[in-house]
Amino acid sequence: MKKIEAIIKPFKLDEVKDALNDMGIKGMTISEVKGYGRQKGHKEIYRGAEYIVDFIPKVKIEIIVEAAMVEAVVTKIRETANTGKIGDGKIFVLPVEEVVRVRTGETGKEAI
Amino acid sequence: MVDVELRAKRDALEYLWRQGLSGRPLLHRHSQLIDDYLAGLFNNCPEATEGMSLVALGGYGRRELFPYSDIDLLLLHAPGSEDRLGVVTEALFYPLWDAGLEVGHGVRTLDACLADARQDFFFQVALLDARHLAGSAPLFGAMHQAFHRELIAGHRGEFLQNMMQHRNNRHQRYGMHGYQLEPHIKESRGGFRDIQAMLWVSHALFNLQELQAIEEAGLISSQEKEAFGQAWDFLIKIRNRLHYLSGRKNDQMFFEYQEEMARAFKYSDTPGTLGVERFMQDIYRHLHTIATTTDLFFEHVDETLGAPRANPVEQTIEPGITVRQDRLHLTGQTLIEKRPHLLMRLFAQAGKTGLEIHHRSRKIVTANLHLVDDKLRHSKRMAKSFLDVLENARDAEGVLSVMLDTGLLTAYLPEFEQIRALAQHDVYHVFTVDRHLLQTVAELKKLSLHKTPFAGVESPHVLALAALLHDIGKGHHEDHAQRGSELVTGIGKRLGLTEAETACLSFLVEKHLFLSVTALRRDLEDDAFIRQCAEQIQTPERLAMLYLLSIADAKATGPTAWSEWKGALLLEISLKIAHLLERKDATLPDKSQGAGWMLAQVRALMGKAAPADYGILPEEYLLSFPPEEVAHHLKLRAGLKNEQQAIVEAGDHSLFWSVLIMTRDTTGLLAKICGTLALHGLNVVSAQIFTWEDGTAVDVLNVRPAAEQTYAEQDWRALGEDLNLALKNRLGLSHRLVEKFRTAFRAPGQKNVQAAPRVVIDNQASEQYTIIEVFANDRPGLLYDITRTLADFEINIHRARISSDGDQVVDVFYALDSFATKINSPSFQAEISQALLHIAEKETGTKPQW
Repeated sequence: MKKIEAIIKPFKLDEVKDALNDMGIKGMTISEVKGYGRQKGHKEIYRGAEYIVDFIPKVKIEIIVEAAMVEAVVTKIRETANTGKIGDGKIFVLPVEEVVRVRTGETGKEAI
Repeated sequence: MVDVELRAKRDALEYLWRQGLSGRPLLHRHSQLIDDYLAGLFNNCPEATEGMSLVALGGYGRRELFPYSDIDLLLLHAPGSEDRLGVVTEALFYPLWDAGLEVGHGVRTLDACLADARQDFFFQVALLDARHLAGSAPLFGAMHQAFHRELIAGHRGEFLQNMMQHRNNRHQRYGMHGYQLEPHIKESRGGFRDIQAMLWVSHALFNLQELQAIEEAGLISSQEKEAFGQAWDFLIKIRNRLHYLSGRKNDQMFFEYQEEMARAFKYSDTPGTLGVERFMQDIYRHLHTIATTTDLFFEHVDETLGAPRANPVEQTIEPGITVRQDRLHLTGQTLIEKRPHLLMRLFAQAGKTGLEIHHRSRKIVTANLHLVDDKLRHSKRMAKSFLDVLENARDAEGVLSVMLDTGLLTAYLPEFEQIRALAQHDVYHVFTVDRHLLQTVAELKKLSLHKTPFAGVESPHVLALAALLHDIGKGHHEDHAQRGSELVTGIGKRLGLTEAETACLSFLVEKHLFLSVTALRRDLEDDAFIRQCAEQIQTPERLAMLYLLSIADAKATGPTAWSEWKGALLLEISLKIAHLLERKDATLPDKSQGAGWMLAQVRALMGKAAPADYGILPEEYLLSFPPEEVAHHLKLRAGLKNEQQAIVEAGDHSLFWSVLIMTRDTTGLLAKICGTLALHGLNVVSAQIFTWEDGTAVDVLNVRPAAEQTYAEQDWRALGEDLNLALKNRLGLSHRLVEKFRTAFRAPGQKNVQAAPRVVIDNQASEQYTIIEVFANDRPGLLYDITRTLADFEINIHRARISSDGDQVVDVFYALDSFATKINSPSFQAEISQALLHIAEKETGTKPQW
């Protein structure tokens, strides 16, 4: 099992969510995050006042899938969230040791 | 087993309820059932004989037993019967427990009762409802008499204060109004506890035990009694069903029960509103009826009985309105009939003074609502007072809330009736629409106190109106923003707003979700899309208002609607649009192209015909105006010959006017400009100040007229002449300002609590400038005095932003010292602060002679 963490632009969330649903992925965790990478924060000046935008708002999607699904899911997210511009985000794939469903105690593949 | 019998009886009761036995009869039937059962147990217990009495307390004592309410019992016993108590309590309480009932029980002697009641106010109140169930009647009678003799008689004031204290604490804990998403119909404001609080006080203080008696004693009016009774009956039915539906003692209208409850009470969906929304609207309205009636009741009783307040002397603050004991009073019914706008003046005074309106005057307002007719709704005086509340009241939300409670707000703005107490059935909107609107006004106020980008708009009253009215179109099946924008056009006209202001109001209401929605859902890197936004929003002023409205709206919606994360997106889109809007032609590439590019545009516009020395134009200046305007300035410069002659050009931007002033830069120039503008009745709202390398000052000030006056009526020629005189040092501004405003100062003796002036000098916020902020109580000529003081220190002001928050103005200056560097020396900073505070603290800068 793998965990896929994707950091994407907020306005792409609906598209990515729909695309993943279409592939049969029903569960995901979504959070509002802030950060910066190569698209650094910047300074804005408006009417003489300066505003520092140091962290940029992004959305983080977390999904747990079987190892066999990883490639397809990553490709789908990459295709959907891509605008071709700086700041489109990143996708991380991490190993997952175990999954337990709290209600039933099921583990592994059944619990995803 | 005996408990089986009790279970069966309670099941039978539920069956009867399903057959239609509801409301008060169900409560009585339930009480009767328990009464009979307990009397049976008691009488069948051989040990429970003389010297013992079984007593019902609290809600059960009042025969108001809801399906899963606690059954509060007291076993009263005479000293010496202790050895039999164990058997009796087992015989009485075990079956109740076994049947799954919640039992509140106590076993006490008469003396212990009185001692406990002295310690514990809740127990004292519970005893007030004590009712004899079984056993020794004389023992109960003795307790009853002793209780009233020792704890109630002679302690009336104390009882009232305790009750009011508990009521306030409860309101704090459960929210100040019952308009939350999931109202608690027992504890929240307007719930059962408030009903009982009124009845307990009437009982304990005046021995009045029924609503009827309370009305006859004149403590509430017959209309109030009527509405109160209806609300009470309605809430009883709701609570009965809520208990049966939850299967437990639950008094909170949880979200998941609301739809089922609404269906059970036969509320069905109609186009535009869900049945559940109208159902909740009725609940909120009933809670509200009880809240206002009990508020007025407690104020009345407290005044009759409570300690005398300070300031017994009556003070007339304007004809028809007086202050007595720190409360505002309307005086004279005939005066109100002659001048009905006094109704609104009362609220304007409440906003201004921060004093509460006396309960009797609130009732007078309600009783005179028939005077609010179409004519009054078009009255200029009325509109002025109303806008005064919105824009200047220290606690606008509080004042508007009382205005809503009295009915004046809906009488004055009938459009408000549709959304009064209107619920929105989702977990996102925590408040009803009307509360949300008032909350938005409050959030907007808070924003103006912080250093928000875009803060300080040119027409704050339009923005405040938009905050109050942005959801006015809800409750219909059309798009509420669209409908709202149509409604506010009518309201704007009625309130006497100018055409431009009305158009702006309508725009703000129509687009109030635009920024929040697009910030989240659109690609902010998409230049073409940002350009579309700019085309829709049209001006930087509208953008600033929309930005502030979006934040206030989100913050007032609920805890999930606003986060810093969303704030960052909102700021990003707004700044992007702002940069585009700053240039007139939105199709041009943005100004990150730099000053060089701008200069090329200017050169092209000027052509060869008018050669000019472009080297004199500072970079920041070039980036602040569109090329056309720079070219215009250059042409004006050619006509500037005499050393001290100023060119003054006014422009009408509908929501505000601009004044362009070009002249030789001299020390104190801005002070002279501000003084002259004040002399001509113009308030400065913002200023951009530049000096070219050749010493030409280019100042653009945005102004608004202090009096109601149109652009055409303003004597711009005289303004130019006076400014030229002032620049030649031939016009004594100080004495002329005193002369002009002699009568405009506040009448002496008028109560007006003011916030202390403050000066903040900040070198962090801007890379290039020192920011000097002056918070001061507004008065005519203040800006003149401040700018003159800064000029004395040879401080150059490069930008200024002047906004007002109620009586306080916030003047923000981007400044540099005479060496064009930031003001870094702490001692110099302290000196400047002291000098500015001195100016700000002067009651009137130019001491008029009374």
